[in-house]
Amino acid sequence: MPQSTKNETFDVFENLRLELRRGSLILAVLAALRSEQYGYTLRKILADHGMAIDEGTLYPLLRRLETQGLLKSQWREEDKRNKRFYRLSPEGKLILKQLWTEWQGIDSSLNEILKERTYGTS
Amino acid sequence: MELLDRYLHAIKFWLPRDQQDDIVAELADDIRSQIADEEERLGRKLNDAELAAILKQRGRPVLVANRYLPQRSLIGPMWFPTYLFILKIVVPCYVVPWLLVWIGLKIFHPFYHSDLGALAGGLWGTFWSATFMAVGVVTLIFAILERVQAQTDFLGDWDPRKLPAVRDPNRIPRLNSILELAANVVFIVWWINGLWSQTLFDRAGVRIVLAPVWKTFFWIFLLTASANIILSAASLFYPYWTRLRAGIRLAIDSIGMIAFCWLARSHILAEINVPNLSAARAAEITNAINVNMAKSLPLVVIACAIIASLDVFRLVRASTGRARLVPGLALIVVLIALAAGAGAQATAATPATGFALASSPEIRELLVDHVDVQHRNAGTVLGIRTG
Repeated sequence: MPQSTKNETFDVFENLRLELRRGSLILAVLAALRSEQYGYTLRKILADHGMAIDEGTLYPLLRRLETQGLLKSQWREEDKRNKRFYRLSPEGKLILKQLWTEWQGIDSSLNEILKERTYGTS
Repeated sequence: MELLDRYLHAIKFWLPRDQQDDIVAELADDIRSQIADEEERLGRKLNDAELAAILKQRGRPVLVANRYLPQRSLIGPMWFPTYLFILKIVVPCYVVPWLLVWIGLKIFHPFYHSDLGALAGGLWGTFWSATFMAVGVVTLIFAILERVQAQTDFLGDWDPRKLPAVRDPNRIPRLNSILELAANVVFIVWWINGLWSQTLFDRAGVRIVLAPVWKTFFWIFLLTASANIILSAASLFYPYWTRLRAGIRLAIDSIGMIAFCWLARSHILAEINVPNLSAARAAEITNAINVNMAKSLPLVVIACAIIASLDVFRLVRASTGRARLVPGLALIVVLIALAAGAGAQATAATPATGFALASSPEIRELLVDHVDVQHRNAGTVLGIRTG
């Protein structure tokens, strides 16, 4: 395969991969905020679990989720620095539960479809 | 940390006033946490280059700030394809004709006449102002539509049953064929009955005679009309434009158009006789009609170019299965421009008509002879009749 075609294929994959992960990031953030975190530690937790997210995406997302009432935040001093701590609100817990169920549904549907395809081609 | 302060200050500039402090404080803490981690890993303070690398990796301040702002667009994805489509039509249909008229005035009209350098300079400025005007107005209209759509969602209210029917662009409506057939039959009857003779009119002392070359035009127009009848009749039975049929239509129209242009400049009117009209006056009127026909040549040529362009457009569509709107419009515009130039040149090359503008010394000489020698009244001298 020529180098340019290889690069194009890689770019297409990268774009699709980012698109696929983008929707699931909200679920990951909500799930991680079942325990209180501030932005930097939240980012590290997500990265440690294979869901790395850059700060330019995370902080606007946190603000949006807070505006939607899914998160609560509080400024507090820790290690001699003011930090903003986030945690799930009661509405956030409810939405997380619903999204989790939805996620499991998508996961099981996709597995079914992928299995059928595998049988079809074998 | 001066570099960090500068970075945060630059981000703050782009943020909404009521959120500036909150966002910048959180961002500052995130960057400081990252710096602290790095310093702990290295066991020393970061130098300026390392700090600059961290900030660079986070992105340009305006882009970082933009991520906190709601997504906004002048024309959103819903309207953008329509916006582009309209622009592609408006630019060639507004800007190009506007430019052609402007160029025409500058070259042919004595009042606006200017030299080539001034023309080129003016053309550049005119092109941009016309383009900006067209693009600006269209953009403004679509920006308003975008706002109205956001508030009313009027695009959501539609009925699939009102969608236009799918039509084959190469299909010829039968009504068109019938009308064309009837029109050509009527034309031929009138043509043969009324225009066969070189003497167009001869009644009650009034006599209008055409030049001998009229016979040639008579046969050309009779043949093209007959060919059109055959084509229309064929279209009734097989109502589709094919490459052959579109080619024949282009050929027939081309012959007719060339003949028409030739007619315009051929001084077809040979003689007019009207009772109580002097021979000199009758010759003057005959000449004036011929001259005005020749002067109308650029307009005739432009009309012919439009017809030819449509024929070519149809031929391309029938040959390739599709014809793009914008290249089609561009073709029409180019053909019209060429035709206008050719028409203007042909008019300029029209042979002497028997009239010429008099020069100042000639007018002075005429007036001296008329008033001083012959002791007659003087009107306004416009020219000298030489024929």
